[in-house]
Amino acid sequence: MRSKVRSKIKNYLILTLRIGLGLVFIYAGILKIRDPIAFAGSVAAYKVLPYFLNYLVAATIPWIEATCGLLLIIGFKTRAAAGITAAMNLFFIVLLASTIMRGLDIDCGCFRQGGEKTSAWIAIMRDIVFLFVALVLFTEENDRKLPNR
Amino acid sequence: MMTRTIKSKSKKILVEMAFIVLIAVVTGIVWNHRLLWNVFNGTIADATTTLPAPASREATMLPAGLMQAKELFDQKEAVFIDAREPSVYALGHIQGAVSLPVAKVDSALQNFMNETPLDAILIVYCSGYGCHDSNNVAEKLQARGYDTIFLFEGGYPEWKNAGFPIEGADS
Repeated sequence: MRSKVRSKIKNYLILTLRIGLGLVFIYAGILKIRDPIAFAGSVAAYKVLPYFLNYLVAATIPWIEATCGLLLIIGFKTRAAAGITAAMNLFFIVLLASTIMRGLDIDCGCFRQGGEKTSAWIAIMRDIVFLFVALVLFTEENDRKLPNR
Repeated sequence: MMTRTIKSKSKKILVEMAFIVLIAVVTGIVWNHRLLWNVFNGTIADATTTLPAPASREATMLPAGLMQAKELFDQKEAVFIDAREPSVYALGHIQGAVSLPVAKVDSALQNFMNETPLDAILIVYCSGYGCHDSNNVAEKLQARGYDTIFLFEGGYPEWKNAGFPIEGADS
């Protein structure tokens, strides 16, 4: 009985995390989809890619974010979406850390473009939380499904 | 048996992930194909409308890199023009830059023209790669008869990152 309640609470918690992470990524994606040029400027500020690739990344990454966000919310291919989200966040953390090491004082460009500057440290902290949530979703989905098949 | 299941499971998940990424990337490219095409061809001036260049005059709107911008700055021969919003300009801008925000350029131009001769070297910037404002302001200046206009594409962020002279509330 107790374990039943426990697993119910756990399921609700997972559902909350899934929808929460999904909303964050849809929000992040749509903001950038609406203004790819401004996002290209943010990507260029990282100084890792040549001119054209900044735009190519700016044109595609937000769509990956929004797609994963949507999949997480509707609960379709959740594990794959969580896996991509985790990989993206890991990549963002490495990239942000590189800006600190290179002494670049730039806006992370994570959400709204060209507004208040978000420092790399805050962005890294935030991404670590997202990475953790994504990994939880990735493994939990696995645990729930494996024994049944 | 179990290992094989896990193996095939991870393979399946990787394929799914790759497929999702592929669909998103293709959608992004299709959605932005016009922008990407313009960038590829070096004509990001405006993705939707292109103003005809004045035929009577040789158009000299040249891109300037960071070091070229700094050189012009050091020689004190160029007028730096900040095309961003006045509120952003107030926070910080390239030292000595004149504010000519794109939204108010028509009303502000007369004043600017009274103080700046037509043969002056102008260097226009905004918020870095991808922002249109410097280009729009430069086109207006060109239409009014300014001949030598540089577009500093890296803009304020690149200048500030390089530690070059700035002024304003945040400097």
